[in-house]
Amino acid sequence: MRRSLLLALTLVLVATGCRKEPIYELDQVDLRPPSPDKDQLKTNEEYAAILHANLFQTGLPANALFELGQCIESIGDKELAREVLISNFMNKPGVILPTDTAMRADPDAFITDTYRRFLVRDPSEAERTWFRNLIVADPHITTELVYYAFALSNEHLYY
Amino acid sequence: MDRRRFIRQAGAAAAAAFAAPYILPSGRLFAASGGGLAQHVVLVLFAGGVRQQESVLQRYLADSQGEPYEGNVLYNMLSGAPPEMKIVYGTGLGGINPIPSVLGQSLQQQGTLFREMRAVSTGHFGGLNSLLQGNTAATQGLQQKPLNPTIFEYLRRHAGVPASKCWFVGNSIGGSVPLLNYSEHPTYGARYGANFFAPNVTFGPLGQQYLGDAKVYHPEEQLGPVYAMKAFLDNSFEHMVDAPTGIGNTAAEKADIKAFMAEMFQRTQNGAIAHPPVHDNGDLTTVGYACEVISWFRPTLTVVNLSGVDGCHSNFTGYLASLHRADHAVGHLWNFIQTQVPGMAGNTTLIVVPECGRNDDPNAIKDQNDWFSYDHSDANAHRVFGLMAGAGVQAGLQIGSEGSPVGLVTDVVPTVAELLGIKNEVLSAGLIDPQSMSLFDRI
Repeated sequence: MRRSLLLALTLVLVATGCRKEPIYELDQVDLRPPSPDKDQLKTNEEYAAILHANLFQTGLPANALFELGQCIESIGDKELAREVLISNFMNKPGVILPTDTAMRADPDAFITDTYRRFLVRDPSEAERTWFRNLIVADPHITTELVYYAFALSNEHLYY
Repeated sequence: MDRRRFIRQAGAAAAAAFAAPYILPSGRLFAASGGGLAQHVVLVLFAGGVRQQESVLQRYLADSQGEPYEGNVLYNMLSGAPPEMKIVYGTGLGGINPIPSVLGQSLQQQGTLFREMRAVSTGHFGGLNSLLQGNTAATQGLQQKPLNPTIFEYLRRHAGVPASKCWFVGNSIGGSVPLLNYSEHPTYGARYGANFFAPNVTFGPLGQQYLGDAKVYHPEEQLGPVYAMKAFLDNSFEHMVDAPTGIGNTAAEKADIKAFMAEMFQRTQNGAIAHPPVHDNGDLTTVGYACEVISWFRPTLTVVNLSGVDGCHSNFTGYLASLHRADHAVGHLWNFIQTQVPGMAGNTTLIVVPECGRNDDPNAIKDQNDWFSYDHSDANAHRVFGLMAGAGVQAGLQIGSEGSPVGLVTDVVPTVAELLGIKNEVLSAGLIDPQSMSLFDRI
């Protein structure tokens, strides 16, 4: 009896002694806010150049940028000026927009691409979720309106 | 209810009833000065550097070129006979046809003329800043937003005037003019700024090319979601930088301004802008668009900048022509308000003040008539005049003289403030020149 108990205890010790300790690991998470280093305000010409590139995926000649800068300068409410400029660009042929069908088929991919195009970064999970919910819930949201909002955002004014 | 509780509740209710009418759209409570003298003010920055000799003193060529020809080339503004000979400031070849007067009675007759005021700066930007900030702007840099609040910001902050009721119409985007619609003062600034157009650019060929074909979006179904998405994006970003804000136009105001712009592009193409009868320079076309702004928005405060006379640095003949046209512009502006804007006729005050004068002695440049040109840097360049007409202004009054100057250009801010009922608030802010006072108090 005593030998049996000793044997059982030995077996238990051997069995538990071989078990590996669990290792807990965490994903690398950047705790900084999005775009922590964007603090340089674009000039009117830089804004117009980047906006045109984002919408048409082509550049503008220097004289056109100078003239666009003058137009923005001539309007006191710069936010309004940008709205008018964006809506003019949107009215021109050649704007390259994803289709609404493609956006709704894969909202996450569209959101990521849009953040990369306009804000030159990936969206955070919270941002992705907010836009995904909006696109899914509101059938009136189009790719054009999303692009409009990104082009108008304050973050798009900075690099 | 016990007596103490009753008194406390009754007191709170009375205080709320007293304060409620003074809570601004921003939620801020302010102490009202009392009613103003006018419902609208139009301030013309008669800028570019105007010599007293060719304006109020009506000396024409006599005090500049040594030729014995005197006369009044500003006969919409000032009373006095025009020159009879050596006419070069009008239209046609050689400028021999003076532009007929627009007003049946000069503004001098209709209002009060301060014959001899003092400018605090002999430079354009400093002068414009002193007119709009009400102080000497001694530390104001060029190409820099005003350091102290402008009259636009005082008006919007203390009287709760919406952005679309506060307009600055500039004749150019040069000379840092677009910077003048609000200051960088921390307690005022962009959120109390004025709307601004340099219409010769905005609605000129460049504007037509780049801004004149805007897609129209539905304000609720399309722009509503756009603004919501922008707000979300801005919220993510706002803790990073103090992003520049707009001047506080609401969505409805923006829609109204966009509709105005579309109308202007259309009317410009059709040649239907309310330009003065003669509109052959930038000041005159600027005033045409200023009339359109006034007609569309009925602003509480409209400031219009002119500066064509600055050609006097190298062309005295052109200076005389520009001076004559600036007078034509002012006459047209006042006539338009009286005859085409029924809601503003009778309750609008017009103020016209140069930002600085010009020198007593000429520089070395002679023009096509062999006439000397004039810069602006000496004591004579501190000599200016001031003219007011309309609501709250006594007619036929003249104040001051060549030997007895009365008034400073920095008086314009407290004067506009008095007209619009915020004088106490402006003075209490303590940011205008201590020597400044309302021109009504100078009288």
